[in-house]
Amino acid sequence: VAVNGGDDRRFAAEILPHLDAAYNLARWLARNDADAQDVVQDAYLRAFRFFGGFEGRNARAWLLSIVRNAFYSSLAAREQHESLPEDGDVAAEIAELAGPESPETLLIRGDERRLVNEAIAALPPEFREALVLRELEELSYREIAEVTGVPIGTVMSRLSRARALLRRALRAHGAGP
Amino acid sequence: MSMTCHDAVPLLDAFLDGELEPARAAELERHLGGCEVCRAARRRSERLSAAVRGNAVRHAAPDALRLRLAGALHAPAALPPIAPRPAPVHRLLPLAASFVLGILVTSGAAVYVDRADRADETARELVASHVRSLMPGHLLDVQSTDSHTVKPWFAGKLDFSPPVPDFAAEGFPLLGGRLDYVGGRSVAALAYGRRQHVVNLYLWPAPGTGDGSTRAAAMNGYNLVTWRAPGWRYQAVSDLNAAELRQFAELWRKLPPQEPTAGR
Repeated sequence: VAVNGGDDRRFAAEILPHLDAAYNLARWLARNDADAQDVVQDAYLRAFRFFGGFEGRNARAWLLSIVRNAFYSSLAAREQHESLPEDGDVAAEIAELAGPESPETLLIRGDERRLVNEAIAALPPEFREALVLRELEELSYREIAEVTGVPIGTVMSRLSRARALLRRALRAHGAGP
Repeated sequence: MSMTCHDAVPLLDAFLDGELEPARAAELERHLGGCEVCRAARRRSERLSAAVRGNAVRHAAPDALRLRLAGALHAPAALPPIAPRPAPVHRLLPLAASFVLGILVTSGAAVYVDRADRADETARELVASHVRSLMPGHLLDVQSTDSHTVKPWFAGKLDFSPPVPDFAAEGFPLLGGRLDYVGGRSVAALAYGRRQHVVNLYLWPAPGTGDGSTRAAAMNGYNLVTWRAPGWRYQAVSDLNAAELRQFAELWRKLPPQEPTAGR
């Protein structure tokens, strides 16, 4: 790998500090630890290889876009896509996935945490990543557009749809706003 | 022409995210002022956002992964596989080339888009200091949520006495403080929490009355807000979103003026 010593140090200073953000995105996309670690490792390998060509200022967005690419090209992503229904009401599916066993347990306050996490995990990946980047990584719309490679308008509509689906899923269980 | 509910509702998310252009936001606010239905919709959106932020897990990278990556930096081709699964590297190598282009295009866009990311030397130093502070054991020299513990700690270590307010009630609890070195001088650094994010506030005495304006910048994925108050210079750095970082700055600006003297 042809990266000189200066780049090496710059990589350590600019890219390594974003490891938690990288892992969090990978973890939410892959939905399990082992796949997420694979994705992050792969992403860092790519990032290191292409770092010489990176001249942008926003290292975090740059790295997250690589994490995302690494995920979508992974086997984990393909398996997930196959498991998604080809058609049908996504909200109903989410409600089902996020649902606890009986209506009574739903109202237990402590369940909100589990419900929210399950409902987010059940979102289609494009909506899930937009929501995670916004609410957990606190990226601006512009940064999310940069990471996901779509126009800002698309980011806005994906976020709106993600939130609408989430609200419906949570409301279906009496836990939602 | 005034805004209807039909126009207003789709804008609520962007409005609450602080992403609506000012003119549009003002229009929306006017509509909200006179429309209880849309105010209720706004409250629902706020509750949802709070439920997500308050409950969704921000997964931290496992230590094993951290160590493996740090160790592999010098020989990235030799990344060990993650037991017991095979490393993805091999099966992905044929694909790698096709992604080079995608990544390069993305990073090119980043350069173009982030015009606001023009940062000066101080900003660079501050971001470096912020990143350093997040490494284990570097954030705090004095760890306390009590201003009355943190403030005296600075006495005798600096030639000025920084104000140390706690903003726990406003959602920015004080975590503690440390000494830092920025722009060729010792400064006070105060750390505040906001959900899973850390805000570092750097402050030091500076002549002048301050012009009352706040400047925001972004660099390397971090947001910076800087402002002056009579006798002081302030710099806040965080990976927190820009809107809330400005909120944090506003809390500071509302404090009564402080004398930077009386160090010891």
